[in-house]
Amino acid sequence: MRIEKCYFCSAPVYPGHGMMFVRNDCKVFRFCRSKCHKNFKKKRNPRKTRWTKAFRKSAGKELTLDNSLEFEKRRNIPVKYNRELWSKTVEAMKKVESIKNKRQARFILNRLKSGKELEKAAAISEVKKNIHLIRAPHAGQAKQLEDKMVQKLAEDVEMDE
Amino acid sequence: MALYNFKKIMVVPTAKDFIDITLSKTQRKTPTVIHKHYQIHRIRHFYMRKVKFTQQNYHDRLSQILTDFPKLDDVHPFYADLMNVLYDKDHFKLALGQINIAKNLIDNVAKDYVRLMKYGDSLYRCKQLKRAALGRMCTILKRQKQSLEYLEQVRQHLSRLPTIDPNTRTLLLCGYPNVGKSSFINKVTRADVEVQPYAFTTKSLFVGHMDYKYLRWQVVDTPGILDHPLEERNTIEMQAITALAHLRAAVLYVMDVSEQCGHALSQQLELFNNIRPLFANKPLIVMANKCDVRKISELSEENQACDRLLAHRVDTKMKTKKVHDVLNRLHLAVPTKRDQKARPPFIPEGALLRRKAMEMDAPKRKLERDLEVELGDDYTLDLQKYWDLMNPEEKQDKIPEVWEGHNIADYIDPEIMKRLEDLEREEELREKAGEYDSEEESEDEEMQEIRQLASQIREKRKLKILTSKEKDTQGPRMPRTAKKVERATLEKEMADLGLDMTDKDDSHYALRSRSLVRKRKREVSAPPTSRTRSQSASRPPRDQSGVRDAKMLKKVKTMMKSSQKEMNRQGRKGESDRHVFDVKPKHLLAGKRKSGSTSRR
Repeated sequence: MRIEKCYFCSAPVYPGHGMMFVRNDCKVFRFCRSKCHKNFKKKRNPRKTRWTKAFRKSAGKELTLDNSLEFEKRRNIPVKYNRELWSKTVEAMKKVESIKNKRQARFILNRLKSGKELEKAAAISEVKKNIHLIRAPHAGQAKQLEDKMVQKLAEDVEMDE
Repeated sequence: MALYNFKKIMVVPTAKDFIDITLSKTQRKTPTVIHKHYQIHRIRHFYMRKVKFTQQNYHDRLSQILTDFPKLDDVHPFYADLMNVLYDKDHFKLALGQINIAKNLIDNVAKDYVRLMKYGDSLYRCKQLKRAALGRMCTILKRQKQSLEYLEQVRQHLSRLPTIDPNTRTLLLCGYPNVGKSSFINKVTRADVEVQPYAFTTKSLFVGHMDYKYLRWQVVDTPGILDHPLEERNTIEMQAITALAHLRAAVLYVMDVSEQCGHALSQQLELFNNIRPLFANKPLIVMANKCDVRKISELSEENQACDRLLAHRVDTKMKTKKVHDVLNRLHLAVPTKRDQKARPPFIPEGALLRRKAMEMDAPKRKLERDLEVELGDDYTLDLQKYWDLMNPEEKQDKIPEVWEGHNIADYIDPEIMKRLEDLEREEELREKAGEYDSEEESEDEEMQEIRQLASQIREKRKLKILTSKEKDTQGPRMPRTAKKVERATLEKEMADLGLDMTDKDDSHYALRSRSLVRKRKREVSAPPTSRTRSQSASRPPRDQSGVRDAKMLKKVKTMMKSSQKEMNRQGRKGESDRHVFDVKPKHLLAGKRKSGSTSRR
């Protein structure tokens, strides 16, 4: 039993799911669902179809080069079963998985940081340009003027006295 | 390879036929309907398809011709030489070369014109380009007329060549013309070669088959060879020479003892000596034929010189063919002894033991079947017990294969613990360096206020856009001043913007003051002079004039509406609107008279 990768979207294909296509040159293509299969038949390039993992990796949207990703590799030479090795491997897998997830999340977070700066700048410019939609320019000025006049009168009165 | 495919070479059509076939195929197999008003990309695609289709067809057929015809380098040298003799190697290669060139030219033409067609901007232009492309391709092919004719003739001749397998057991008959070779082959095989009294009856190679010692033998009959040097030989003789040169066969040199062929025995001997080099490495038999006419013993002394050669009398197939066993020689090579030490062949011990065990009945080991029978229902096929593991007590373990969507087999590595340690160390370093700290910068108040204002602005803008979209844009656009603005909405809007609108009764937009102003104006102006004006002031509106009461009003209104309904239903703009939207509706006029009533269209 092996969990394969879908050729198009790189999703896991569990046994009993998806389709397998064998081409005349003996190359095997596995698909997780008919969506990927149909896209393949339409000769779409997964590296250009935005929702696939292939696109995301090639466009730099996800972590590509990392030590934690080197652990999972298809190995062509089988190793003889050895209980100790297997149990150690399972534990190692769990730790590697947690580290990998952390690193992937951090990568995406860093990528999105610059967006925050842009948001700030956009808010500032929006306010500068369109403040007239919510605040009249001379909003409190009548009151201010009145206050000033009152103050001036009071001063005059004082001076007179 | 080339041996059997001479018969399967595709017919090479003449240039004219070729052009006709391809053009009519293009006409039939590509769409034919195109109109001027179609979109330009559709027009371009239509004509490009035709050009490409024609090119494809030419390419395919020419490629097939090129592959079907045998390459002289690939076939057996016997056939290569034979074809050279019959068809002239140079001419053959040239013809095929021309075809290849034509194919490439056609491809280039098509490529160029397809490229040009991308810039065609009208149907006429694209059509002219297509005509030009097809025309050029056909002209290229017309120039190949000679090559195609030649290749067709070659093909026809090739398919009629006798199938001589150069690698099987063969007997080759050679000698002067008219000595009796064809008669011999007729007798010995089922072949039916023409036998006539004149020389050169046989003009090409013929094959017959016969059986001897449960094996099939090929007998090849050649045209006669005359005695002159190689350069002066004509095509027919060259065929015989080619056969002699290339076929690994037993050669039967036939001599006519009675000199009925027209050549003396000495001449035949002369010829024999001349072509002797061709007999190298081939078993040779000299046949003295036509001995019934003149017995060997009657030969004069000078003729008895032939007896020095192996002279056999041809009587039945059995006798002569004994010699051909020599073709099936087997030779066991034994190394020469260099010293007295005996070196017998080496037989491994296991083989010896097995042989001994085979001789006596060895006790059988317990089979799986025996185990099954023993356990009965409890039996399960447990193949894991045969595994060869480092710790045999782990044989019955259930091996985990998958964890959380990952294959464990992908992680198995003898050095995994070391690598994991490295990774964890690296991770610790990163954590220390502060990579994973969550940076929650608390923004200062100013920034927060700005953000709030920005979101308010965006909301306001969206609302404005929505209201403007909901506006009724039919009819003439009236300026804003034509519409009356309610005092309350004005004051509310301004208050939202932050202005103080509390005490505004005596402002210029408050209604009461205006009405006062209006009344004053009325008193000052002159009374209305024309009657119509006064009448218009007092006239009732048209939908109320002449209507007595509410009941009548209701009836009048329904009458108006019902008369308008028909017009609305027909979608007519007025009484004179006689425009028909769909003069010939397709669903009524197209199709066969299938279901439903067929009494009328």
